[in-house]
Amino acid sequence: MKHDHLLLSLEIAQFLYTEAELLDERRHDEWLALLAEDIRYWMPMRRNVKYGDTTREFTRETEDINWFDEGKDTLTRRVRQIQTGIHWAEEPQSRITHMVSNVQLLQVTHDDGIPREVIAKSRFLIYRNRVETETDLLVGKREDTLRRSGDSWLIARRKIILDQNVLLTKNLTFFF
Amino acid sequence: MSGYRAGMVDLASGLISREIFVNEEIYAAEQERVFARSWLFIGHESQIPNPGDFFSSRMGEESVILCRDRAGSVHVFLNSCRHRGMKVCRYDDGNTTVFTCPYHGWSYGTDGRLAGVPFFREAYHSELDRAKYGLVEVAQLCCYKGTVWANWDAAAPPFLEYLGEFRRFLDLILDGWDGREGQAELIGGVQKWLIPCNWKWPAENFSGDTYHNISHRSVDLVGAGPSGRSRRDYSELNVARRLHVALPDRGHQTITYMLPKDHQPQPAYQNSPEVAEYFRHCEAERRKRPGINSRMIGAPGEIFPNIALLPRQPRTLAVWHPVSAHQTEVWRFFFVDRDAPQAVKNFLRDYYIRYSGPAGMTEQDDMENWNYAHAASRGTIARRYPYTYEMGMGHAVENYEWDGLQMPGRVVDLTKAMASEEPMRNLYRRWAQFMEAESWDALMPWRQTARARAAE
Amino acid sequence: MSDPVNIRTLPVGTRVVLNSGAEVEIVSNPGDGVWLFGRYLPAADDDAEEMIFAQDVVAVRS
Repeated sequence: MKHDHLLLSLEIAQFLYTEAELLDERRHDEWLALLAEDIRYWMPMRRNVKYGDTTREFTRETEDINWFDEGKDTLTRRVRQIQTGIHWAEEPQSRITHMVSNVQLLQVTHDDGIPREVIAKSRFLIYRNRVETETDLLVGKREDTLRRSGDSWLIARRKIILDQNVLLTKNLTFFF
Repeated sequence: MSGYRAGMVDLASGLISREIFVNEEIYAAEQERVFARSWLFIGHESQIPNPGDFFSSRMGEESVILCRDRAGSVHVFLNSCRHRGMKVCRYDDGNTTVFTCPYHGWSYGTDGRLAGVPFFREAYHSELDRAKYGLVEVAQLCCYKGTVWANWDAAAPPFLEYLGEFRRFLDLILDGWDGREGQAELIGGVQKWLIPCNWKWPAENFSGDTYHNISHRSVDLVGAGPSGRSRRDYSELNVARRLHVALPDRGHQTITYMLPKDHQPQPAYQNSPEVAEYFRHCEAERRKRPGINSRMIGAPGEIFPNIALLPRQPRTLAVWHPVSAHQTEVWRFFFVDRDAPQAVKNFLRDYYIRYSGPAGMTEQDDMENWNYAHAASRGTIARRYPYTYEMGMGHAVENYEWDGLQMPGRVVDLTKAMASEEPMRNLYRRWAQFMEAESWDALMPWRQTARARAAE
Repeated sequence: MSDPVNIRTLPVGTRVVLNSGAEVEIVSNPGDGVWLFGRYLPAADDDAEEMIFAQDVVAVRS
């Protein structure tokens, strides 16, 4: 049982590395193909709150203003915007590296003994360099719901927890 | 007018020096001359509904606390202990009975009164005059249709006088979509982010840059708007008179759209039949109301110095907080009608986030331009070449009227002209006045006019 | 010298002992870990609330 769990963790990690590769290589259409049609992609904003006030640290999905809180239609439009070649905030395109680590499986749902859905947590360090010397370093966590699709997986839900209050990058033209 | 510092803002020729964006002495002077005596946007009463509620805000570079005291009164305080300066509030918002300084324990009530001083009897021998050391409070405060504004200068005119005829444009963002007064509430969550440019780049852009559509062509191409096309709905805008309105005495200016009399609502928000019908109904109701706003459609505008309004698509207010000559912290607030159906609020929230802010497909390209225009302005050679703000000089008119509706101030009809830089000239005229004026006496020419008329 | 007491979450009604030996009943707790509002015991009907500084609290009685 433990052996299977370790193998699945490795498989999920490899999937996340493949996804990072697509983004870093600017293969955005192939990246979109990894997203389920009903994906929810959410990055809350964070507040400084009093010790113990756990309910108000994050803005709420589908209720408050967030950094991202959208589905595949908007994500696709973002990709198409970059692909126009005249999205000046991404023209010339940024150089970007996604480092993904600390991949842990929080929950595995089986069907007929086969893992069908996984909730995976990971950490990211995104290094973005732009034009001449503009550099951003963004660090945080992701909580993903992944759904088996053939031999691979689709991202059905991504919650991105960025460790910032005031956003320290001028824009979010890239994907987490 | 010779313009601030002999020619830096030369409105006779329409040339403005790059120095105003990059010069650090000018930036430092702005903190006194502009931000210490202008009306600044603090927040909205929907953020502090109950006694003890607070929201940490900003005025210029400084942290302030917006709060409601036990009796229900609204206050704005400098977020700094009177003893040794530590912030007495380091939370974004919440509810409290006291603001306590972690350094030496001084504690203030939500009315700003100094309540707790450790060892007052022993160390201070009961001699400290506590009444002198309450939290520093703004000189003037105004709550207008839920928005809270504050001014450090007691000599400044009251807020509505400061706004003057621009009030109708602020009303466009605060009144209901159906024309009922003051229906706006904030959606929870204030976007805050840092951009690498002087605050005046976004301020002049939102004053009414009608020339920069090419920046946003990529959004128009992918159709991020609420009807799946372009970035907003244009059916109504295309039949309206598109205007620049600039109030020279006040330094506020805006793009605006004036509808023909008896014009009927046009299709909008086509991505959702429910939302489309809601707005069709609101627009029909609005037209039944008396008053000019039934014929106005909101567009980007700027309240001097650093508050940007966008009443429609999206409905948002931004404050460009100065951090340094080369950096600005933007705070973005988003509005809906408080009694709009949840489906409408949800639809709009989705649209707002993908339009504005750092993840906003439209705002991203604006910021890129401001970023690199600012950087380019810093060079030794570059600074020798002033910027041309000459577009449409001399072509604004006063007493503009069309189809029975009048506009105040100096107006440029853009329906044919396409673009003008009248709003920018207006903004910098006022900025130069603030930089030169020793006091508010020199900044209120309308009072002298009124006195002269009264004397006649 | 007694161990310090964290007053931040002490409920209303708790009795604390001050370094003067006096006993105080908490009337309200602002939750800042620095101050309490309390009444000295034994209390008279018209006793005003006093502000009690954290450093003066040496023990929690109940």
